[in-house]
Amino acid sequence: MKQSTNQLVEHFFRHESANLIAVLTRAFGMRRIDLIEDMVQVAILEAMHAWKQRGVPENPAAWVHHVAKNRILDSIRREKTYEKAITLSGLSIASQSINAQESMVDQWLEKEELPDSLLRMIFVCCHPSLERKSQIALTLKTLCGFGISEISRGLLLPSETVKKRIQRAKHSLATANVRLELPSDDQLTQRLDVVHDVLYLMFNEGYSTSHGTEPIRDEICEEAVRLCHLLCESPYSSPSTKALLALQLFHAARLDARTDENGAVILLEDQDREKWNRCLIGTAQSWLANSKTDQPTTFHFEAAIAMQHCISPSVEATDWNSIVNFYSRLIHLRDSPVYELNQAIAMGQAGDTGDAFSQLQNLRNRDDMKHYFLLDCAFARIHELEGNTKAAIDSYLTALTKTVVPHEKKLLEKKLRKLADLR
Amino acid sequence: MPKYMFIYRGGQEKLKFASPEQIQQVLQMWMDWIDQGIEAGWVLDAGDGLKPGGAIVNMDLTVTKDELSTESGSLISGYSMIEVPDLSMAIELAKDSPMPNSGGTVEIRELTHNGKQYK
Repeated sequence: MKQSTNQLVEHFFRHESANLIAVLTRAFGMRRIDLIEDMVQVAILEAMHAWKQRGVPENPAAWVHHVAKNRILDSIRREKTYEKAITLSGLSIASQSINAQESMVDQWLEKEELPDSLLRMIFVCCHPSLERKSQIALTLKTLCGFGISEISRGLLLPSETVKKRIQRAKHSLATANVRLELPSDDQLTQRLDVVHDVLYLMFNEGYSTSHGTEPIRDEICEEAVRLCHLLCESPYSSPSTKALLALQLFHAARLDARTDENGAVILLEDQDREKWNRCLIGTAQSWLANSKTDQPTTFHFEAAIAMQHCISPSVEATDWNSIVNFYSRLIHLRDSPVYELNQAIAMGQAGDTGDAFSQLQNLRNRDDMKHYFLLDCAFARIHELEGNTKAAIDSYLTALTKTVVPHEKKLLEKKLRKLADLR
Repeated sequence: MPKYMFIYRGGQEKLKFASPEQIQQVLQMWMDWIDQGIEAGWVLDAGDGLKPGGAIVNMDLTVTKDELSTESGSLISGYSMIEVPDLSMAIELAKDSPMPNSGGTVEIRELTHNGKQYK
């Protein structure tokens, strides 16, 4: 025990709890997940209590693993129906003693073995039988070790909603006693697609500024990156996984530049590009280069667009023509008005304001875009590019009449003040 | 200089439902507070935590065990030895401790002899 400047690795308990839950659920079955979570919580509390005055032991992870493992084994030994339960847990080891299972848990908890259990848990949390929203909540709880209140702050949902979602998801997985297996070859593509979507949405939940800028949201982004990276390093990834990781890293590189000291959002064009994390951009570029395939996905083109922004010294110097082309490829893959909206802005930036206007005009006729304030912002942007300040102001004023959350309102008002100064 | 014993009581209830991250924050607060004390010299002995359970031997020689679980909110959970000029100083230090924050209390008691030997 050392007695000076104690420091645990950041998020140590959060990640250890995820590791333990993955390994113990793999060993003792999904139907025991509630018990396992309780025991892991007990182990973490015991660790805190044991270390708070005397400091952190040499190998804190081993300490927590040992305690959690013994807690769960004790409570399983107390289960009268142990033999029966083993048969149910889907492990054909009815004849095996608890000791054999214990050594298996030990092996799975070893540093180099851990990713295997975590991967299995990723596929369980992204099980196709669950709703997308439940998959996200369950992933945050089980694989990232967030508490209910943290998830509810991160997703901007009432705690009760989050709690119910997670309980329902766990219950349905436990009832079906879903096993922590890796998908078979014929299922892999399908299962991987679900995981990609969950990680993509999870990152967006953390990244989207429409929900404000709580620190917890950055952590959700970090977690999406961590899990995506884990997947990329495994034999179960595809070019699409690598493109998704690249996309997330390009965005993550800009996290610190997106807010000012008061937590107000700064738009891409106003960000201080010196603050962008060059190291992350470089890593993202190598993952993108690594993701080459004959059948590029939306992740590939979204990452390519993000990269264009990241490697440009300024808004003006950006290769807007390439961005317009990437959006065409995206729209070809998936008909999305948001892609069209962003493409129109890129067209305007590339100097084709006429094309930009006609594309935006088409969007205005769509019911799902009519009331979308960002459409008016896009109009305003193109007006600005044409030097038509008065029309830009009118468009921003129209945007303010639509549904906007408080800090988006602030952003629009700031824009308006800036334009008013120009006149 | 007088020596005091800090007796930590309760606080387990509140943490039972805390998230791993919150528990880590509390642990970090403890370690920082103790480290500070060691550095500044007012921590004589960081002491230790006490496990729940154990037993009480009563005057009639019966033994009580069930009152020593974490369920009872006033369980003594640990102690430290402190050395400061006076009680008010000790009180200020205890206020800075993570204990009130985690829903527990710190009892401050001065040692009778302060470790002095009789001549």
